Amino acid sequence: MEEQPSLYDKVIRITNVYLGPSTERFIGRQVRNHLHKEPEEISEKDLYGLIDWIKVAVSLLTEDSEIVEEYTEQLSLLVGNSKPNKMTHKKPRPR
Amino acid sequence: MKSANKLKQGRYLTQDSPVSGLQAEAEVIFSCIGDGAIATNEYGHITRINPAALAILDIKPTDALNKWFPKVINAVKPDNTPLPLIERPIFKMFLTGKSITEKLYYKLKSGRVIPIYTTVSPIMVGDSPVGAIEVFRDITHENEIDKMKSEFISIASHQLRTPLSTIKTYAHMLSEGYMGDVSKEQAKALKTITKATNNMNELIATLLNISRIESGGIKVYRKPCDIRQVAEEVVKELTLTAKDKSIKLNLHIPKQPVIIKTDSLIVKEVLNNLVGNAIKYTPRRGMIDVTVLNQRDQVQFSISDTGFGIPEQSQDKIFSKFFRAKNVIQKETSGTGLGLYVVKGLVLILHGKIWFKSAEHTGSTFFVSIPKIISRKTNGD
Repeated sequence: MEEQPSLYDKVIRITNVYLGPSTERFIGRQVRNHLHKEPEEISEKDLYGLIDWIKVAVSLLTEDSEIVEEYTEQLSLLVGNSKPNKMTHKKPRPR
Repeated sequence: MKSANKLKQGRYLTQDSPVSGLQAEAEVIFSCIGDGAIATNEYGHITRINPAALAILDIKPTDALNKWFPKVINAVKPDNTPLPLIERPIFKMFLTGKSITEKLYYKLKSGRVIPIYTTVSPIMVGDSPVGAIEVFRDITHENEIDKMKSEFISIASHQLRTPLSTIKTYAHMLSEGYMGDVSKEQAKALKTITKATNNMNELIATLLNISRIESGGIKVYRKPCDIRQVAEEVVKELTLTAKDKSIKLNLHIPKQPVIIKTDSLIVKEVLNNLVGNAIKYTPRRGMIDVTVLNQRDQVQFSISDTGFGIPEQSQDKIFSKFFRAKNVIQKETSGTGLGLYVVKGLVLILHGKIWFKSAEHTGSTFFVSIPKIISRKTNGD
């Protein structure tokens, strides 16, 4: 029977679409710095808190806030339900 | 609330601005910060910029507001090449979640490059980051003063060296009996003079090194060398000093030659300083291990001691000029606090990295990693 991908694998797979070869390094640093654990140990609860940090960091790599939204929405789906946007602006700001 | 009223009356916002008193007050405070201040939202778009920032960057509010931060703020390296996004303090801050203070360079619309001292912090709502605030100032003037200071040190050091050589030469001639017999007391005094002049010479050499590092005046002469030999020479030269304190100094090197193209004199100076420090700050009967690791593109040195260690609260300042940790000041009175500053400067010249781990009362390990081939595009050589 095929083994189910871990949450970390799923995060990497989604992120890879947006960040390409920097993916593992980026996620690794986010998890280690903010959660003080190894990336492979990430849980749904951890990811829930981490998405906002990922969002602000990725927003400095691309000017396209729609892409940032799309990416973080996909990550939010991994934590069971769409993570509510705590920010002031609920929709992507116009470019 | 007087200032907030004034604000509402028209300097920054119009009467009709739909802001509460608190918001208006925050706006006034933001506007009145003497340093440049820029706030961004979670998408990296600039939401606020104060007059000081506009003046430093020589832009209008419309050039910045609602625009993407990296597009408005053009950060460059000292050589005027663009600073990659991932190396910018604002990005690093979001990776770590902690405020970051750095010196960097901003390129203005006019093409002029100015040195900046900046602190970037996350704006938090509860546990969530919702943007960033960067506070920065133009340090052109400070840099000029620094340059003048370095020039002064350079001139003063040269001027000090000449009389010192004379003192040293005559002390040597006297002690060797060239000017007649010397009594035991006189010989002792001459030995003290020679030791003091040697110490002073070392200090002058350090000051000159600093002056050269800061002015970019150190030339790098790259030649192929077996880096094991450099480490061996350093350990050999310092073995006696270590023995004086009954410290065991061990060298671990690869069996095969490690040929790299670098400036071996600079590497030697770095290792000399680090091993010298390890001996100085390790109590009697301690142990020091010097290890050379041959990695893919790098060579890594580690100097590990069983010394006093660096207190945690001092660790972030250890590479600063004139800094000495309290625990070593109490135990060891000599020292200028310049050694590690020089070492870091030299390592950076070789495009290398230096870091350490340390625990008080246990010891420290300093790591230096240098590329096997350093690029030609540096230091004007």
